[in-house]
Amino acid sequence: MSAEPYFAALWRVFSDEMARLNALDAAVGDGDHGSTMLRGLTRAADAGAGKRARAFMRASGGASGTLFGLILLGIEAHLEDGASLHGELAKACERIRDLGEVAVGDKSMVDALAPAVDALENGDLDAAIAAAGAGRDATRDLVARRGRSQYVENGGKGHLDPGAVSVVIFLTVLAETGGTA
Amino acid sequence: MKKLFNSAETMVDDMLDGFVSAYPHVARGQSDPRVVLRGIDRKDADEKVTLLIGNGSGHEPIAMGFVGRGLLDANVVGDVFAAPSADLILDGITEVAGKAGTILLISQHSGDMINGRAATMMARDAGVNVLALPMYDDISAAPPDRKKDRRGAPGTMFVYKILGAAAEEGRPLADLFDLGEAVRDRIVTLAAAVSPGISPLTGLPMFSLPEDEIFLGMGVHGEPGVGRVKVGPVADLVDLMVGKLLADRPIGKGGRACVIVNGMGGTTTMELLTVWAETEKTLARHGIRAIAPMIGSYVTTQEMGGFSLSLLEPTDDMLACWTAPSNTPSFPSIGFPPVVCAEKDMA
Repeated sequence: MSAEPYFAALWRVFSDEMARLNALDAAVGDGDHGSTMLRGLTRAADAGAGKRARAFMRASGGASGTLFGLILLGIEAHLEDGASLHGELAKACERIRDLGEVAVGDKSMVDALAPAVDALENGDLDAAIAAAGAGRDATRDLVARRGRSQYVENGGKGHLDPGAVSVVIFLTVLAETGGTA
Repeated sequence: MKKLFNSAETMVDDMLDGFVSAYPHVARGQSDPRVVLRGIDRKDADEKVTLLIGNGSGHEPIAMGFVGRGLLDANVVGDVFAAPSADLILDGITEVAGKAGTILLISQHSGDMINGRAATMMARDAGVNVLALPMYDDISAAPPDRKKDRRGAPGTMFVYKILGAAAEEGRPLADLFDLGEAVRDRIVTLAAAVSPGISPLTGLPMFSLPEDEIFLGMGVHGEPGVGRVKVGPVADLVDLMVGKLLADRPIGKGGRACVIVNGMGGTTTMELLTVWAETEKTLARHGIRAIAPMIGSYVTTQEMGGFSLSLLEPTDDMLACWTAPSNTPSFPSIGFPPVVCAEKDMA
């Protein structure tokens, strides 16, 4: 199966969501999360088979491009090569925790990704999306300990983490474009 | 501030065009024009361990100027003051990888560490035998009991050069990695900034400093340091800095220290040689012989004024590698240590 429809759909959704994600990020960071994601996804949508997540990493840039790119690498391997989605996302999550020095509860993408990985262990993408959504919603009350949001007022408490929002979109679009666990 | 560029979008690639056409030592990689490889003196990567580093541009001649025999096999060039992406670093690793193995050097800054380590993980997934070696030496960034939280500073050039010479001899990967860590753990660096560099992206000074003050411990991107001191004779400044370096990592009386006096880009050779002269005298007062100095502007931040002082207490092996000949566009010939000269005089 090709990852092309997935990356095309992801680009469409982030095109629609860019302004909202930038606004979310403005409350906890530098306000460019939607733009940097879309910049990466634009290149990814144009890239060849097996090179889409890497194109995202390069075009999105910075450390965040790398960390979100690790998730997309896993999804791409799942779609292109039939790699286990649980295995790929578990690996990505472990690497993001290690590289970003971030744990569950730190108000980051990991708060959505880690519960999704746990839910995928039983093989259900819908359950993973529900778990990721709950994790995303829980970031509203968390105080950031890593990244830029740790420096904003009250560590961004009261605002959703935009990275967690994006992780839920990654998984939702995967289900919509026919991905299965 | 006037700068000589065509455009912000092309400045890095325009510079690289000039670099690769000027020097036969270097050539562009096949995978991406931002990967700089050796042009001559390439060795079989199944026989020789390969070394590379990625870094943001704007700090030239480091690190692309150090690609060549006896030093690096490749450099991955990022945008101005921005770490290259993990994907680009992976291209660099893949270009130089062979059966002998590869070491990715990483000067410890947050983006470089995340992207460099991610590239290493991705390369290992693809079966490449690559190790990441974080380098950190700036004593102002964290106290001695948290050395691992320090950032990379110009003293990391000791690691490049010593590992480069040792790799050229054909030493195996594990030995080189151990040597790299051992060198790193013996390096201390402290910087003194007198005036800001101008960002080529914004045209604005990267920090501000009163006319009569010097910033101690500032990082290569203007990261805050340990404090300000008033301008005075350079002898007093060097005495203060050497004292802090030796307090951080003592060298016993009768010991020796290799020295790097690195200019930040806007400081003259005249000033840097004065700093070296005072460093040698100050170390001598501590009973330490200053040897094999590297003096010049190698890790720069545009026209930032100031210098950093780095000390390495070398083993005999490290000293031999530090002074071994190399052939790159920018690495200088390191003078023989006085001990060798003295023996020559006696002969």
